[in-house]
Amino acid sequence: MDLPVQDVLRPRSLREALRVLADHPGARPVAGGTDLVVQLRDGRRQAELLVDLSRVGLDGITETDRGIAIGAGTTMDVIATHRAVRTHFPALATAASQVGAWPIQCRATLGGNLANASPAADTAPALLVAGAAVTVASARGQSQLPLEELFVGPGRTSLRSNELIVSVLLPVSRTGAGRRLVERFVKVGPRREQIISVVCMAGRVVVAADGRLELVRLAFGSVAPTPVRARATERLLERRVLDDRLRQEALGVVQEDVKPIDDVRAPASYRRLAVATLLDRFLAEVARG
Amino acid sequence: MAERVSVTFTLNGERRTFTVAAGRRLLDLLRDDAGLSGTKEGCGAGECGACTVLLDGRPVTSCLVLAASVEGRSVVTVEGLGGASGALHPFQRALVEKGGVQCGFCTPGVAVTGAAILAQGISEPGERARLLSGNLCRCTGYSKIFEALEAAREGSNG
Ligand SMILES: Cc1cc2nc3c(=O)[nH]c(=O)nc-3n(C[C@H](O)[C@H](O)[C@H](O)COP(=O)(O)OP(=O)(O)OC[C@H]3O[C@@H](n4cnc5c(N)ncnc54)[C@H](O)[C@@H]3O)c2cc1C
Ligand code: FES
Ligand code: FES
Repeated sequence: MDLPVQDVLRPRSLREALRVLADHPGARPVAGGTDLVVQLRDGRRQAELLVDLSRVGLDGITETDRGIAIGAGTTMDVIATHRAVRTHFPALATAASQVGAWPIQCRATLGGNLANASPAADTAPALLVAGAAVTVASARGQSQLPLEELFVGPGRTSLRSNELIVSVLLPVSRTGAGRRLVERFVKVGPRREQIISVVCMAGRVVVAADGRLELVRLAFGSVAPTPVRARATERLLERRVLDDRLRQEALGVVQEDVKPIDDVRAPASYRRLAVATLLDRFLAEVARG
Repeated sequence: MAERVSVTFTLNGERRTFTVAAGRRLLDLLRDDAGLSGTKEGCGAGECGACTVLLDGRPVTSCLVLAASVEGRSVVTVEGLGGASGALHPFQRALVEKGGVQCGFCTPGVAVTGAAILAQGISEPGERARLLSGNLCRCTGYSKIFEALEAAREGSNG
């Protein structure tokens, strides 16, 4: 069955795409289509005019002295297997390798995962702990914002209809002598593959030579209206040495950082339990070294 | 009335042009406009893999691909896996020989993803299972599909 759209435009450059979006306020960009096509088909979203981004050239990963820049059109299979991403941001590589099954990963783009703004978007927690910044463009120019400011609510972002995500920048910092980086992404669902997360978590910790947690970043998906950082838990843990008491305390505090709801995939009580369990396992790994 | 758009791409090795509705899915272009009914529609939502085809050599679910977006690219369906002569791909032959086909509904998608796994030279069983996890088969229990993958790999190594 044809999708209920009137027309599709296929710009050949970013400039042309931005001009098309500026000229047609009702237009909606489509990248891999793995979210949008399903939504159009189910009538959950309407679009008169689609702007196909396949030939705009937003894909590719570049390493600069500021960090790793991932083009919005880069697909999950490419992110999951990229050497520098795997080295510096293993949580993101793992998350990308778990976005649907292989035929989805070969189409699903990073920009689409973020712009779709599902609270369950798997790359979001991994990017939040990486301290990602998003480059956004309109016909008037480009700007950068912290990823957290992109998410407004379920399915809602701060993007205007004439704006596109161009890329995501992950700052690379030297871990330094005697320090240890622990970064993980874990997702909970009824099956290992091709499943929307019931809860997912990314953690990034730098342990100093004296055992103190120098940097602590924790983020969760599917436990609030948007993907969220667990700020109170991060504050509790930072600059402390991890022992059993601190770990127990963290498992209590993290409950305040999340606001899960009941839905078809799980009750809130299950999600709270999963949040504590994922954090507990992650901290156990940090402690083990 | 929806606009019609023209799309030119390489289909099973041949350059083709189609004029289709703006909202046509690649799956419908293949089945209805190109007459290639090997590609199947199961869920229509990206979950079952019955509609898998190769887009520039990588497996994708054609039920989620906008036909207009394949302009200038290369699409291979189950009909084209064995090359222009219409022969069977070694994995298709192995599926037949090992009994990896029962009702056959998943088979076109399985054949396409399996061919991509072989083309990438992936032989580790866990990784093969992960890559095939988007092709749901309710008949075979998968073991004969994996046997066929292994047989096709050994065959191609001589
Ligand atoms: C079977 C199946 C399984 C899935 N499993 C998972 C999973 O496990 N984890 C997960 O996180 N997701 C999953 N998804 C959802 C989906 O695959 C991802 O969210 C994907 O990354 C979306 O990218 P896309 O390129 O396909 O986006 P599209 O569908 O093309 O677009 C999504 C939205 O983003 C907008 N958009 C796209 N690109 C840009 C841009 N550059 N700038 C501004 N707006 C843009 C579009 O207008 C649209 O609103 C699954 C989907 C399916 C069908
Ligand atoms: S019909 Fe396309 S994945 Fe099921
Ligand atoms: S053979 Fe029947 S679904 Fe696979």
